Amino acid sequence: MSHTVLVCDDAIFMRTMISDILAQAGFEVVGEAETGSQAVEKYRQLKPDLVTMDIVMPDMGGIDAVREIVKQDPDAKILMCSAMGQQALVVEAIQAGAKDFVVKPFQPSRVLEAVQRVLG
Amino acid sequence: MDLSQYAELFLAESREHLSACNQLLLDWERAPANPAPVGGLFRAVHTVKGMAATMGYARVTDLAHRAENLLDLVRRGARPATDDLLQLLFRARDGLEHAVELSVAGREDEIDVAEVVADLDGAAAALAGVRSGARPTATPGPAPEVAGPITPGRLVQVTLRAEAPLKGGRAVLALKKARSLGEIHDVTPPEVAFEAEDFDGRFSFRIGGAAAPGDIERVVRSAGDVEHVTVGGEERRPAPEAPGPSGAGTPDARTRHIRVDLGRLDGLMDLIGELVTVRGRLNELAAERRDPAIDDVAIQVSRLSSELQAEIIQARMTPVWQVFDRFPRLVRDLARELGKQVAFRVEGKEIEVDRAILDELGDPLLHLLRNAVDHGIESPADRKRRGKKPEGEIVLTAVRERASVAISVRDDGRGIDRAKVLARAKREGIVDAHAEALTDDQLLRVLARPGFSTAEAVTSVSGRGVGIDVAMTRIRALGGSLDIRTEAGKGTTFVMRLPVTLAIVRALIAGVGPERYALPLTYVAETVEFGVQATTIVEGREAIVLRDRVVPLVHLRRLLGVAGDPPARWPIIVLEMGDRRSGIVVDGMLGQQEIVVKGFDAPRGTLPVFSGATIMGDGMPALILDAGGLV
Repeated sequence: MSHTVLVCDDAIFMRTMISDILAQAGFEVVGEAETGSQAVEKYRQLKPDLVTMDIVMPDMGGIDAVREIVKQDPDAKILMCSAMGQQALVVEAIQAGAKDFVVKPFQPSRVLEAVQRVLG
Repeated sequence: MDLSQYAELFLAESREHLSACNQLLLDWERAPANPAPVGGLFRAVHTVKGMAATMGYARVTDLAHRAENLLDLVRRGARPATDDLLQLLFRARDGLEHAVELSVAGREDEIDVAEVVADLDGAAAALAGVRSGARPTATPGPAPEVAGPITPGRLVQVTLRAEAPLKGGRAVLALKKARSLGEIHDVTPPEVAFEAEDFDGRFSFRIGGAAAPGDIERVVRSAGDVEHVTVGGEERRPAPEAPGPSGAGTPDARTRHIRVDLGRLDGLMDLIGELVTVRGRLNELAAERRDPAIDDVAIQVSRLSSELQAEIIQARMTPVWQVFDRFPRLVRDLARELGKQVAFRVEGKEIEVDRAILDELGDPLLHLLRNAVDHGIESPADRKRRGKKPEGEIVLTAVRERASVAISVRDDGRGIDRAKVLARAKREGIVDAHAEALTDDQLLRVLARPGFSTAEAVTSVSGRGVGIDVAMTRIRALGGSLDIRTEAGKGTTFVMRLPVTLAIVRALIAGVGPERYALPLTYVAETVEFGVQATTIVEGREAIVLRDRVVPLVHLRRLLGVAGDPPARWPIIVLEMGDRRSGIVVDGMLGQQEIVVKGFDAPRGTLPVFSGATIMGDGMPALILDAGGLV
C-alpha cells in the first residue's frame, strides 16, 4: 500500500512539482493545502502518512500549522520545505515537531531521501 | 547484520525492565504524591524503546515511544499519580510486554495495541495542553528536575557535508534524534549558534545513557547530510541506572554478570552428573584394589568433582524475587477486580533456589495467591462486620530450611469452613460417613481432589476446582510437599516445601528385593531398625511409636509388589515433611551417596511414588522414591 501525502504550499507551481516528484516515486498525494489553517483542517480529515509543509504561507504559517497538527497527532510526520536563508525558521519548525526538512530548489533525489528518513 | 541472534537477549532484558515497571507503578500507586518512581519508569521504557529500535521492532518502539512521551510530560510536570493515569500506564506496560513477546516470536502482525496507543497520545496531548497553557513562553525553562549527578557520557563529534544547505537545521535535527537515546549536554557551539546563517556544520555534544556507540552514530546519521561522526568512549561511568525492582535482594549493579543460556548450565550439569557417576565407579575400584596410589587419585577426583558440582549448583541458584516480583501486580489486579482491599507483602525475596525449580513455582503460587484473594480475604464490609481491618493481608514468604525451601502463602481471611468441606466430602464419599472432623491433613487431601471446590460461585479468578490440585500436582512433581493450616475467621496458610536443587542430591540407597532405590535425604529425618513385635495399630494403620510420636509405616516391599519375605528385623527410614511423618520399611540400607536426578516420565499406571531415576556407580539404574508420595 502506498503512503499518502498531504502537500502544503501557497504556490501552485511548488505543489505541482512536489506532487509530481512524490507521485513518480509511488506515493499517493491525497490532498493539497495552500494555507496553514487549510493544512491543519485537511490533516484532520485525511490523516495522511506524510505532510510536506512550506514555512511561509498566508493565513497561518507552516510552523504554527506544525504545532497544531502535532497537538492533534504527536506522531505526525511532517517534512518542512524551506528556502535558503531560513535557518532560524527551520530550527523553530523542528523544535515545533517537524521531522525533517528539504531546501529549495528541490532536487527530486534529496526530497525522496528526506521522505524516506521521515517515514523510515 | 543478523539481529536474530540478539533476540533472546532483547527479550530477557526487556522482561526485566518491564518487571521493574510493574514494581515502580505499584510503588507509585502506594504513594501517589511521591513522583520518584516516574524517573525510573521513564528510563525503563526508554531503554526498551532503544533496544526495540535496534532490533527493528517498529511497533514496540512506537508504543514505547508514546509511553515515554507521556512519562516525560508527567515527569517534567512532577504530577501526582491519578487512578486514570496509573491504569493507563499499567495498560501501556502490559501492551509493551505483549508487543515484545510477539515481536520476538516473529508475530509482529498480531500486535494489537491501537487502543492503548490512542489513550497514551490522548493523555499526553491533554498534559501538553495543560503545560503550554500554564507556561505561555515560547522557550521552555529548564525542566524542574532535582539536579542529579551529572553524567557527561560519551563525546559525539559531528561534521555535516560541506554542500548541505541550512546546516543549523540539520544540527538541531541530529540533536533532537540523539535525545531519543539519552540526555544531551555540553552542546558546542551552543544551540543558538545553529540559527545563524554562518554556522559551519561542525558541532559536538555529550550524550548520557547506555546507548552503544553504533546506535548513537546511526541515530545521528539519520538526521541526514552527515559527513562524519565520531563517538568517544564513556568519560565516566554513568550513575547507576534506574534501580530494578525496589527492596532487598535486587542484584548489586556493581557485581559483574554475564548472561548464560540455562540450556548451557543444564548441559554442564549433565556432564558433571556423568562425572559423579564415574567418580562413584572409581571409588568402588579403588576400594577393591586397595592400591594407595589409586586411592589417592580417587580422593582428589572426589574433592574436585564435589567442588565443581557445588559451583555449578550455585550458578543455577536464582533468587526467588525473579518469580515473586510479578505477584504484587497480580494480587493488586485481582483485588481490584474482586472489590477486595489487600495489602500484599513479600518476605525472603533473596532466598535462592535452583532455576529449574523456580521456573516451575510460578503456576502453583499463582493458584494459591488467587485462592487467597478470592476465597480467603473477605470483602471490606464483611471484614468490618467481623471486627477486622477492612484491608486484608496476604504474605508470601520464602524460608530456607535444611536442604529445602519453604514457601508459604498466608492470608488473614475467613479460613476454610471445615464443616462445609466435611459435609461435601461425605456427600461425595471422599471420607467416611461417620467422620466428625477433618484434620488439616485430611482437609488438604479433600481440597486437592481434582474438581473439588468449596467456592459457592465460580468466578473468573478461581472456584473451578482447579486450584489446589494443580498446585499439588506440580509441587509433587518437583519432589516437594504442600501443607495447609487454616482457622475459621483467622485465615489460611499454605506451605510448600521444595528441594533447593533438583539436579544432584544426596540420597539414601535402600534395597528392596533385588532392586535398589534412592531416597533423597531432603526429607529423611532418621533411620531406625525395628523388630516385628514393636509395631502397633493406630487408626487402622500399622505404625511405630517413636519418642511418643506415632509414625505410620509403609512397607515398600508390599507397595512395590515384590515377592518373598522381608528380613526379620526391618530397617525403617523415617521421612518428615512439615508436620507429617511416615516410616518406610525396606529390606536393607545400602549407604548414602550423591545421585544425579534424571527426569522421569512415568508410564501410565505406575505407582505415584517415583520422582525420577538415577544411574548408580556400577552403571545400573535405580528409581528415586518420591517422599511426597510416601508420607
